Amino acid sequence: MSTNHIRNFSIIAHIDHGKSTLADRLIEYTGTLSAREMEEQVLDQMELERERGITIKAQAVRLEYTAKDGQTYMLNLIDTPGHVDFTYEVSRSLAACEGALLVVDAAQGIEAQTLANVYLALDHNLEIIPVINKIDLPSAEPERVRHEIEDIIGLDASEAVLVSAKSGIGIDEVLEAIVKRIPPPRGSDSETLQALIFDSHFDPYKGVIAYVRVMNGRITPGMKIRMMATERTFEVTEVGIFRPRLTNIAELGPGQVGFIAASIKNVKDCRVGDTITDAEKPAAKPLPGYRKVTPMVYCGLYPVESSEYESLRDALEKLKLNDASLVFEPETSVALGFGFRCGFLGLLHMDVIQERLEREYGITLITTAPSVIYRVYKTDGEMLEIDNPAKMPPPQEIDHIEEPFVKATVIVPNEFVGAVMELSQEKRGEFKDMKYLETTRVMLTYHLPLSEIIYDYFDRLKTVSRGYASLDYELVGYQESRLVKMDILLNGEPVDALSVIVHRERAEYRGRQLASKLREIIPRHMFEIPIQAAIGNKIIARETVRAYRKDVLAKCYGGDITRKRKLLEKQKEGKKRMKQVGSVEIPQEAFMAILKMD
Amino acid sequence: MKIGLYVHIPFCRCKCLYCDFPSYAGCEAVYEPYTAALCREIAGKGGLFSHGTDTVYVDTIYIGGGTPTLLSGHCLEAIFETLCAHWRIERHAEISIEANPGTVDFNKLKMLRSLGVNRISFGIQSFDDRLLRVLGRLHSASEALQAVKMAKDAGFDNLNIDLMYGLPEQTVGDWRQTLAIAIDLDVPHISAYGLKIEEGTPFFTRQKRGEISLPPEEEDEAMYDWVTEYLPAQGLVRYEISNYAKPGFECRHNLKYWRYRPYLGLGAAAHSFWNGRRAANISSIREYIGKVQSGEGPEAGWENPEKDEAMAEFIFLALRTAAGLKHEEFKRYFGVDFGQRFAAEIIQLETKGLLTKNGQSVKLTPLGMKLGNMAFAAFIPDKP
Repeated sequence: MSTNHIRNFSIIAHIDHGKSTLADRLIEYTGTLSAREMEEQVLDQMELERERGITIKAQAVRLEYTAKDGQTYMLNLIDTPGHVDFTYEVSRSLAACEGALLVVDAAQGIEAQTLANVYLALDHNLEIIPVINKIDLPSAEPERVRHEIEDIIGLDASEAVLVSAKSGIGIDEVLEAIVKRIPPPRGSDSETLQALIFDSHFDPYKGVIAYVRVMNGRITPGMKIRMMATERTFEVTEVGIFRPRLTNIAELGPGQVGFIAASIKNVKDCRVGDTITDAEKPAAKPLPGYRKVTPMVYCGLYPVESSEYESLRDALEKLKLNDASLVFEPETSVALGFGFRCGFLGLLHMDVIQERLEREYGITLITTAPSVIYRVYKTDGEMLEIDNPAKMPPPQEIDHIEEPFVKATVIVPNEFVGAVMELSQEKRGEFKDMKYLETTRVMLTYHLPLSEIIYDYFDRLKTVSRGYASLDYELVGYQESRLVKMDILLNGEPVDALSVIVHRERAEYRGRQLASKLREIIPRHMFEIPIQAAIGNKIIARETVRAYRKDVLAKCYGGDITRKRKLLEKQKEGKKRMKQVGSVEIPQEAFMAILKMD
Repeated sequence: MKIGLYVHIPFCRCKCLYCDFPSYAGCEAVYEPYTAALCREIAGKGGLFSHGTDTVYVDTIYIGGGTPTLLSGHCLEAIFETLCAHWRIERHAEISIEANPGTVDFNKLKMLRSLGVNRISFGIQSFDDRLLRVLGRLHSASEALQAVKMAKDAGFDNLNIDLMYGLPEQTVGDWRQTLAIAIDLDVPHISAYGLKIEEGTPFFTRQKRGEISLPPEEEDEAMYDWVTEYLPAQGLVRYEISNYAKPGFECRHNLKYWRYRPYLGLGAAAHSFWNGRRAANISSIREYIGKVQSGEGPEAGWENPEKDEAMAEFIFLALRTAAGLKHEEFKRYFGVDFGQRFAAEIIQLETKGLLTKNGQSVKLTPLGMKLGNMAFAAFIPDKP
């Protein structure tokens, strides 16, 4: 098949705007899967993805479509994650395409996340086809959305396709638009092999399966290939396509999207964004855009049962096989014992990993509050990168501290602009820009400390805008801030896993809040437990958990023992997730308390 | 084989404000049909148990409620006749009945005595009229005193009175006074229960609305401390967390619950424990009558606790008693060495000062009794 009959495209959409449903309809309409094989959200295979209705890993599928011109086209749909944590994966998926469907909800309009991804797509020079979805909703305003697309993004939306993915309206028009408007891939058969890795997964029998888009040349089983960034060489064992299940074929040529297996044992050797070339006749230059993904958020993961430490390590290693962006190294905490400091792309990524560890590997975890990486400049001129508050050097050795800042873009109806500005100010934001997207919607740009974003900015944003605001952010660099380490002492003993880094001016307030939250969370013991927040030796807040005085079931009425046992079972259940630190039993949620304050 | 029988009479003249037991007021019309159904269940089960290979002897009977003494002499007679006709009751069996002051006169007490009842338990709760009103009790302190005296005159020398502390508006002083009056009455057994506000009771609703003020924890604790100190000093030994008796007057029926011995429950909402199986009768009176009449059987549900659950039950019941848990008995029931199986829990609780052990047994310390739930919970198996 010549490249003229290939179309490679992605779908860009805000969460809930109907990306997965549209993908399902395209698969169904082209007969790629029979109705029986069709499950909702075919592309979101991970159990968690289905439950949360989100896409975490990029996926791909090949559709065969006979267009109205009578010719059969090979359409490769490359699904992209929709969350800011996975921006880099989105960017690599887009790099594998020539076009993208921009799906916008006919009732909701454009959101910040969509905008960010559209700009990414425009950066990659993709042809963008606006698709206005959910047109059969009573609240649908396709005309308003059409104008929004034109005004905000500057795209010609006069030929936007109006669809309802749910009811199957307009699916054929989408397919025609893909064929007519998205350019076929360019690329040459005669040039040496260059293939972009846009995703991978680990198969226990075949090793790493790399998802690739061939730019130039061909790739066949038996061929020796080289990963240009890692410089590792492998022999290809299988090549194939996604239908959407992996199906072997003889070769992948220019413009094609598919997978290769090459007995690659470690995902580290097969990084997303890297270029595969012919080991015997390597390309002069890799494809542009590769970068090593670096985690933005770190937290400690500890097993509640210290005997599960080994299982936790095994589980993390298994997850890492599929997720090169997950990093971890062993750490020890005085309070929590042996565990791991783990780095994540963002909070969602962290949540997902934690949940998979608990659900798929059955490990009960204690997670410490997430931290960003601080740059600590010591008086002796040394610079330390600190990802764990417990590792902060003593104050007298610190000259100054820098923390990461992000450029945050918020799109919000204009009646909430005041509230959002107030919130951003409170979160130490620096106002950068404000633009009216249309008469009723405003785009605000702030520079904010990343730590505030992971703390509670997003939740608060949702609250102050009654759920209407959408947020996107990207790292802009490090800035100096007046930061201090705040320690928490329980029963007079510092609990290292509860230490946090806070802005000096807010320390007292946070300290009081945290101490009072901990008083609610920590159960009563046989003795009184003082809770103190301290900066250095200075106590800035104090609360007390009162001692248990009396706790006993007075009566076993009429021989109803079962009921008593059930009551005791409840009491016991509550203790399960507690970690004994010194003489105090601390519930798991205490370590995340800093995030759960108003 | 010896067993206890529990017979439930689910009627009260008026529902107390703290009560979540299966008992109903204003059902006078069903006293007779209920008695008839109850007798049918007593007879049927009696037949079943008397025809087994093992001879079953009844060595305790407990008629509880509710207020069993609300039933007419005629109904009570029918119940006892049926019991005697269909069960082998030991000559020296303990036969208890619960009563409320104001529901018995001298003649009824005489009659109960003549039916073979040899232990009576009065729900007195307090000797303070103000607190009795707070609880929604129908009797006064003087009626309570009178009832106890009448019972003694009628020939009851094995008497219990139930008392409660931690009541709304109650002070340590009030509680001391009630206990002093109880001692003056010279009864051989006192049960002293801390009030627990249960869901679904009027107290629960009022507490949620902030309409009742319970004593502060310190005060509640002081009341607990006082009763545990005062009654033993007066010769009433604390043989279970909430129960005090002169030696030889411990309630043999209730001891069966704590010692993991078999008992059968008869009547609506009655609980049974037999052969490791725990069962409960249906609690609705109407349904109970219907099921018994139709011959269907009144059992509403049952379970066979798993071994680890059964062990936990054995442990927390045994630990309620002053005698504690005897290694030998545990081994006899479960074929497991308690000290080995629960070594970690024992050490942990010992360190906390909640448990003490010697070669033969393990028991709660005074602190352990006060924080009993903490000790009990340690033996509850982890749910997967």
